[in-house]
Amino acid sequence: MKENNYWSPVIAGIILGIALFISFMVAGQGMGASGAFARATAQATFTVDPSFAQNAYAGKYLKHGNALMNWTVLEVAGIFIGGLISALLARRIKPEITRAKGYSSGKRLFFAFLGGVIVAAATRLTRGCTSGQALDGAATFSVGAWIFMLAVFGSGFLFSFLFKKQWKGVE
Amino acid sequence: METVLPLFSNGFIDSNLNYILAVGIGILFGFILERGGFGTSAHIAPVFYFKSTIVPKIMVSAIITTATLILLGTLFGYIDFSQIFIPTTYLWPYLVGGVIFGLGMVMSGWCPGTAVVGIATLKIDAIFFALGLLVGMFFYFDIYQYIIDFANSGNLGKFTIDKLVGGDIRISYLVTVAVSFGLLLFVMAMKNIKDKQGEN
Repeated sequence: MKENNYWSPVIAGIILGIALFISFMVAGQGMGASGAFARATAQATFTVDPSFAQNAYAGKYLKHGNALMNWTVLEVAGIFIGGLISALLARRIKPEITRAKGYSSGKRLFFAFLGGVIVAAATRLTRGCTSGQALDGAATFSVGAWIFMLAVFGSGFLFSFLFKKQWKGVE
Repeated sequence: METVLPLFSNGFIDSNLNYILAVGIGILFGFILERGGFGTSAHIAPVFYFKSTIVPKIMVSAIITTATLILLGTLFGYIDFSQIFIPTTYLWPYLVGGVIFGLGMVMSGWCPGTAVVGIATLKIDAIFFALGLLVGMFFYFDIYQYIIDFANSGNLGKFTIDKLVGGDIRISYLVTVAVSFGLLLFVMAMKNIKDKQGEN
C-alpha cells in the first residue's frame, strides 16, 4: 500500500480547474468557504438572540429566513464530505497537530485559533477568501482577485519571520 | 446561438436542484483539495518561506484551466459571461484585508476552505482555526458599524482586467495567463535560491 497517494500539483490544479468550471456553468458561481462560516456565526447568534437580525452586517444573511439555506453553505458541507471520502480512501485520517518538532502544541493551537479570528475578519473586508475571492476571481478575470492575492502573499512573506520556529522543518 | 450556460442563471435548473448540486460540487472540491495535499497545514505554511511550491502550482493550473474553458465557451457563444458571479472590487478593503489575511494565514497555516478538509481528516489545528473563524466573524459583525465607510471604499464595481487595460475578454485572458505564470516562475525561482542556501 502506497503511503502517499497525493496527486501531482499540476494534475490536481487542472482537475480543480475543471471542477471550478463545472460549478460556474451549473450555478453561476465558483468555490466558496468563508461565507459559510460567516452564515453559521450569524445563524447561531440569531438563535440565542433574535434581535441580532438588526445587526448592520449579519442582518442581510438573516432577512430571508435561515442563513444556512444557502448555496455556499451546502457546497462547504460537500467539501467536508469530499475531503473525508478522499482521506478515508487514502487512509490519511488521524488526529494530529501539525508543527515543528518540539514546538509547544498549546502555542500552536493558540496561533491556529488567533489566526482564524484574524482571517475571518479579513474575509469580510475582502468579500471572500482564497477560494471565493482569489481562485474564483482570478479565473473570471477580476482585478480585485489579484490585488487580494498579492497582498496576502506579500504580507504572509513579510510576517513569516514571526512564526519561523512553529514551521521549522515542516514540509 | 442561444446561450445555455450557466444553467441556473438561465433557468434550466430550479433553486432546489441547484442546492442539491451544490453539495455534489462541494464533494468534488473537497476530494480534489484533499488529494492535492490541502488537508494539512504542512503543505500550506511553507509557501511563505519559499520551501514549497504546491499551493501556487495548484492555484495557477486551476486558474488557467478554468479561465481557458470560460474564454472558449464565451467566444463560441455557449456561455453568457455576464451571468457569472464576479465579486465587486473594493480597492482599499482588498489591500488592507489581504495584508490582515496573510498575517492570519502564516500564523495558522490554514485558510477557510482548506480548514474544512483539515477538520475532516482530524487535524486539531484546523479545528482550532475554524473555532477562531467563528469568533472572528462575530467580532467583525460587532465592529462593522464603525468601519462601514472604509469597508465600502474604493468601489470599482465588477472590475475585470479588460476594464483596466482595454480590449475584451481575450485580453483579460492573456493578462491572466501572463500574470499567473509570472507569479509561479517567481515563486519557483525563489525556492531554488532558498534550496541552494540550505536550511538555516
